[in-house]
Amino acid sequence: MLNKLLFKNQDLKQLVIAVIGAFLGITFLITSIHYLIKVNEFGKGSEILGPNTVIVQKKVSNSTSLNMTKTDFSENEIKKYKEMPFILDVKPVTSNNFDVSFETADPMVPRFRTDVFIQTVDPKFLDVKSKKWHWKEGDKFVPIIMPREFLVMLNTFMSAQDIPQISDELAKDINFKFTLKNDTGKEWVDARIIGFTNEVSSILVPESFMEYGNLKYTTGKEKKITQIMIEGKESEFGLVEEMLNEYGLETKASQMIVGRLKSVVGTLFLVVLGISIIAVFVSGLVLIQYMQLLMSRNAYEVRTLLRIGFPPKDIIKSFFTYFVKIFGIVAALGLGTFFIFKFFLDAMFESGGLYIDTQISLTAIITLILSYVLFGFASYRTARKGIFRQY
Amino acid sequence: MKIVLDHIMPVPLASIQHSAESIWGNFVELNDREKILLNASSGKGKSTFTLTTIGLRNDYEGKITYNSEDIRTFSPDDWAKIRQEKIAVVFQDLQLFPNLTVAENLLLKNSLNHVYSEKELLHLLERLEIDNKWSQSCGLLSMGQQQRVAIIRALCQPFELILLDEPFSHLDEENTQRCITMINERCDELNAGFVLTSLGDTHQFNYDKELKL
Repeated sequence: MLNKLLFKNQDLKQLVIAVIGAFLGITFLITSIHYLIKVNEFGKGSEILGPNTVIVQKKVSNSTSLNMTKTDFSENEIKKYKEMPFILDVKPVTSNNFDVSFETADPMVPRFRTDVFIQTVDPKFLDVKSKKWHWKEGDKFVPIIMPREFLVMLNTFMSAQDIPQISDELAKDINFKFTLKNDTGKEWVDARIIGFTNEVSSILVPESFMEYGNLKYTTGKEKKITQIMIEGKESEFGLVEEMLNEYGLETKASQMIVGRLKSVVGTLFLVVLGISIIAVFVSGLVLIQYMQLLMSRNAYEVRTLLRIGFPPKDIIKSFFTYFVKIFGIVAALGLGTFFIFKFFLDAMFESGGLYIDTQISLTAIITLILSYVLFGFASYRTARKGIFRQY
Repeated sequence: MKIVLDHIMPVPLASIQHSAESIWGNFVELNDREKILLNASSGKGKSTFTLTTIGLRNDYEGKITYNSEDIRTFSPDDWAKIRQEKIAVVFQDLQLFPNLTVAENLLLKNSLNHVYSEKELLHLLERLEIDNKWSQSCGLLSMGQQQRVAIIRALCQPFELILLDEPFSHLDEENTQRCITMINERCDELNAGFVLTSLGDTHQFNYDKELKL
């Protein structure tokens, strides 16, 4: 009866406009947040480098080959890159300053030996969750991360020897060993593969192992920084790419493609997110304004209800519940439409080769709940203010 | 409930000369179960008395107390409770909802305390000869019919005092008598009193007290 009295005679045009606005806003808000997160998460876990991180070196040209320009990085250059606004951090990639060779040491596989180039990077840049990623003198073996090309090469070698090829998991069970040496000494250290990477072209070892080798078996030559790691800000990878071109730096193409793709898609969803936030905010305001209009139209009814003994909280509850129900329906419809969008967008991404995680983003759902709570709070405050104005 | 008007002077009436018997500016007590006639000519403040006593106007000097409590200290929730259970009112401008039917107007008020069943409400309308208006919008009724609906609505609650602001101004004598009998019976039933404001007509009722403005 109270609802009939307060909500029967309405000009529904404004309400319908606000509801459509809120519906579109909510739908795109959830969709953009969900995909913004999923696109940024893309690649995480499958690679060892952290998000938006690349290893770069100076481009080798004819002049560098003739020793006219340097290919190593100075401290000043690293400092300059670090100060750029779109860069989060820059760290040198440390290489071995001692002679090291790598060989198989397992009866299961034929002997295979090669001189190698090993590197280590600041653990902050690595996305390696394995507890095995540490080494100290006296440990049974040193953990290593291998470039995937190495496994391809090893399998080619095995194939040529008529030996069955090995998988990633099997490779992790094979015993290898490093030979560390200089003019005065030699040492063998067992090694085990704990992971593979497409991003780094050398064998990665823990920092402590590199320090040990560089200290004990140093060649005494000046240690040059020929590669650095750059961590760019999310959605600003385009600027990192521009900077690389400007300073004659290069990186693995695959790293740049993923970074560029994430940057473009991320920016796109960021724009949609911005528009969605504005749409939700504006439509929320229109709904609140409509509530004020409704209370003002029903001023006589509200005043009379108070005069004949209706508690203010009952009338506030009527307005609050009515508008919270409307927003609830809008939120449910928005969520439903998001699921339909998601079905098609996930299929589109998949057909485009972007295998993003299809699980619903918790942040998107929390945002929806937060919008609902905020609207509920604003509705309650508006209803309370409007009713007490008639008192 | 004992209501005391302690030297009340509404601001809009302060410039008017009031008689020595007037309740304005004097000490007046409205005691339990008293049936009072408040007699005054137009413009002397009959509606002001009703609205001030029920807490709808605050533009006055002096003090009004309910059982020794200053009504200026009451919260909105206190007033809701008082208007639901202690004091009923028939407003001069009736304050019905014109878009709701007679039934809806009565049932809405009745929903606060569930005093009457639908059947009883219909019986009350029947006593005032407007039971055929049950499903009709209040806005379509004559003033006399609306006055009768407003009186029944005011009776749809428990009360200790009912304020009746010129409730029979559009009624003929026969209907006035029916209404006053119904109000009196309900007051007796609840051990309540009433204050009836009038332009001079006593409506042939034997009041306990007569006040003037």
